[in-house]
Amino acid sequence: MRAAWSIFTVLLSTVLVFTAIQSLPGDTASRILGQNATPEAVATVRLQLGLDEPALSRFLSWLGGAAHGDFGTSLVSGRSVGEEVGGALVNTLLLASITIAIGVTIALVLGMVSGLMRDKKPDVIISTLALIGMSIPEFVVATLLVLVFSIYIPLFPAVVLAGQEATIAELLPSVWLPAAALICVLSAYVIRMMRTSVIDVAESEYVRTAVLKGNSTARIVFKHVLPSAMPPTLNVIAMNIAWLIGGVVVVESIFNYPGIGTLMIRSVQTQDLPTILLITVLSAFTFVICNLLADLGAFMLNPRLRYPRSAV
Amino acid sequence: MAGLPDTQNFGFSRRQMLVGGALAMFVPALLSGCATAADPNTIGAPREGAAKAGGTLRIARPPASASETLDPASSLCAYEYLGALYSRLVSLSPTGELVPDLAESWDQSADAMTWTFNLRSDVGWHDGSSFTANDVVYTIQHILDEATASPQAGVLSPFVDGNAITAPTMHTVVFQLTSPNAEFASLLAGYNCYIIPAGSAGTITTSGIGTGPFKLASFSPAGPGAVVRNEAYFGQAPVLDAIEFSSIADTQGRVNALLADQVDFIAQTNLDFATASTVLASSLATVSSVKNAQWYPVPMLNSSAEFSEPDIRRALCHAYDPELVAKLATQGNSTIAHNNPVPPSEAYYLDYGLEYDPDKSKSLLKGQGLSSLDLSIYTSTYDPLLTPTALALQGSMKDANINLTVENASADSYYTDVWMKKPLMTTYWYTGRPIDQLLNQIFRSGSSYNETAYSNPVFDQTLDAARATVDQAQRKTLYQDAQKILIDDGGSLTPFFADRLTGLSSKVTNYSENGFEFDYINIGFGES
Repeated sequence: MRAAWSIFTVLLSTVLVFTAIQSLPGDTASRILGQNATPEAVATVRLQLGLDEPALSRFLSWLGGAAHGDFGTSLVSGRSVGEEVGGALVNTLLLASITIAIGVTIALVLGMVSGLMRDKKPDVIISTLALIGMSIPEFVVATLLVLVFSIYIPLFPAVVLAGQEATIAELLPSVWLPAAALICVLSAYVIRMMRTSVIDVAESEYVRTAVLKGNSTARIVFKHVLPSAMPPTLNVIAMNIAWLIGGVVVVESIFNYPGIGTLMIRSVQTQDLPTILLITVLSAFTFVICNLLADLGAFMLNPRLRYPRSAV
Repeated sequence: MAGLPDTQNFGFSRRQMLVGGALAMFVPALLSGCATAADPNTIGAPREGAAKAGGTLRIARPPASASETLDPASSLCAYEYLGALYSRLVSLSPTGELVPDLAESWDQSADAMTWTFNLRSDVGWHDGSSFTANDVVYTIQHILDEATASPQAGVLSPFVDGNAITAPTMHTVVFQLTSPNAEFASLLAGYNCYIIPAGSAGTITTSGIGTGPFKLASFSPAGPGAVVRNEAYFGQAPVLDAIEFSSIADTQGRVNALLADQVDFIAQTNLDFATASTVLASSLATVSSVKNAQWYPVPMLNSSAEFSEPDIRRALCHAYDPELVAKLATQGNSTIAHNNPVPPSEAYYLDYGLEYDPDKSKSLLKGQGLSSLDLSIYTSTYDPLLTPTALALQGSMKDANINLTVENASADSYYTDVWMKKPLMTTYWYTGRPIDQLLNQIFRSGSSYNETAYSNPVFDQTLDAARATVDQAQRKTLYQDAQKILIDDGGSLTPFFADRLTGLSSKVTNYSENGFEFDYINIGFGES
């Protein structure tokens, strides 16, 4: 049942995106030719790209191909869309995994400390920083990071000069600043969520009971508080992971990072439909999977969900 | 390209402005914090002087799209590579004179119908084969081929027949034109006219084999690339050993790369004033202005109900104070045009224009039975000067009872939905076109780039007469007559030519850019 709904969600998103792109002014032919386009040149390119076919038949033929794993060729570069998006996906996954590994660890620890030490100095500092992190747009964070860590103190490159074909080794030195910018944004939300959950749980009767029983703080935190505080936070983490993999347009674009976000913005500008559709499928699919995993994670952590009958 | 190589560069301009502003505040504070405060920098002419031999120049450029190519004839060409890789028959000097390149000399018949070019015999292609007249014949036919969809085809095809280009000897090319054109040679200086090897249409897109000062080392569309010095170059040897190109779509990203010393020069980027002050505050980089590099017309669409009447167009031309508009929009980095679209540096420039006269403007409106005029003027964040220009015009035209409403359109679709569609808008072109191309391409009846839909048979006939006149003094008079006809007809509303603000490393010396031309020969790194 859940799988059927997931497939429906992904399909629906492609329909919506297809319709949205169709309703944009201009088309790929005029976009790639730019202001230089004479009407004849636009007509020629339109014919070459098959843009004169009706929208519905183009969508259905794309859908037919997609069902067999053939997502078509890019209208702009003429390369296979699967290859192009695949290459960008690898780059984005590198950025996302570093961001998640560092960001989530930091955020969980800070959120927990903050929640457990509610209204004390560490909490005030952490909460204030998290609020600042949430309120400052990521492009400002990114620009400030560039200003400090690549212009004022030249530690890291400000942009990625290698293109889409860059190897992991080439990207590795440049991945840290975009990752840091994303960590600021991502961890702010996770910290806030974690803090709230921890406070909720810490005030619950069973935790009070555990305290009164004389359990050690470590035992209370890891045995009682964490398992119950994690599930709501897991949802926030899952959404953030999906956001990271679906392409972080602004941050990737500022750092010229050759990932899904940069590819997406380029494809939208040229209205390169096959590329946009595959990114949509990928993005929708990631959201669905991440949600599923978050629910599963919550299930594993929550004894009441794990043993529904005995818990009553 | 028709003046907007930046076509695909849709930045987030509001963000740029915000961040540019933020940086402008922060950087001086940070720099003054460290004791090594740089000399007060100002925007000025590029640094000149002796360059060290060798070095690798790193250029960041906005990629056109993933379909960009090294075919010079194509509208999708990656144009920063062209001047490094290729040569043309002739090229235009910064003062607008024709100078030899692959052609040693050229000559036209008394009726301006037959043109003969004598080619150099000592030139080789990057792959080692020899350059001959057949390559020239092939290149021009390739430009005229409809399948190429070259922007230059529209310029040449009215009088060049691809089948009437012959190569009587290995190093002579003869063009038999279909109608006289005494300015023909200047039209071969366009950057779409770089010569490619015969038969290379299918491979030139990525091979980049030319006769220019540099050879292609690598190229990927919308990605990085590099060229290295061509030791066999027939002309003056370049100072540099190599040039590396990288593609950065985001304007702020390009500026960051410059400030972080990852690149030495950012191409096709007209800095807004906030960003320019950020760059100036850096000890590594500086801002050079390229005099009158951009032409800012405000096209009044003649085919619209609003501007079909010449008196209304003239009323607008007289209605604004150019001093004020130029000062507000460009902070003084411009030259007032008095509505003449021809840049003052052009050899055939006519020093004439419609001056500021709000009373005349009002009386012209009155003649049309109007006491005031309400119009919308469209603008976008496509270029940093477009919106300031619209706002300055709005303020200045009030005295002439002309009320402009500034409409901000999306930069993404500005040139598909607004340009040549809305009656009044702001736009820009690169200067550096030969005058015959400028007047014919942008103002002649029916030309595909005629952004005002201007149509005047007398103007067209004057241009034809100029083309058919071999005597240079007489031809100059005719091109000047054409300018006067156009201006008097309210054919061009042009407040100013603005300087382009280019960010480059303070180490770079002898940077020079003219229209679409980079000087890749003399540019290098200074001694200190």
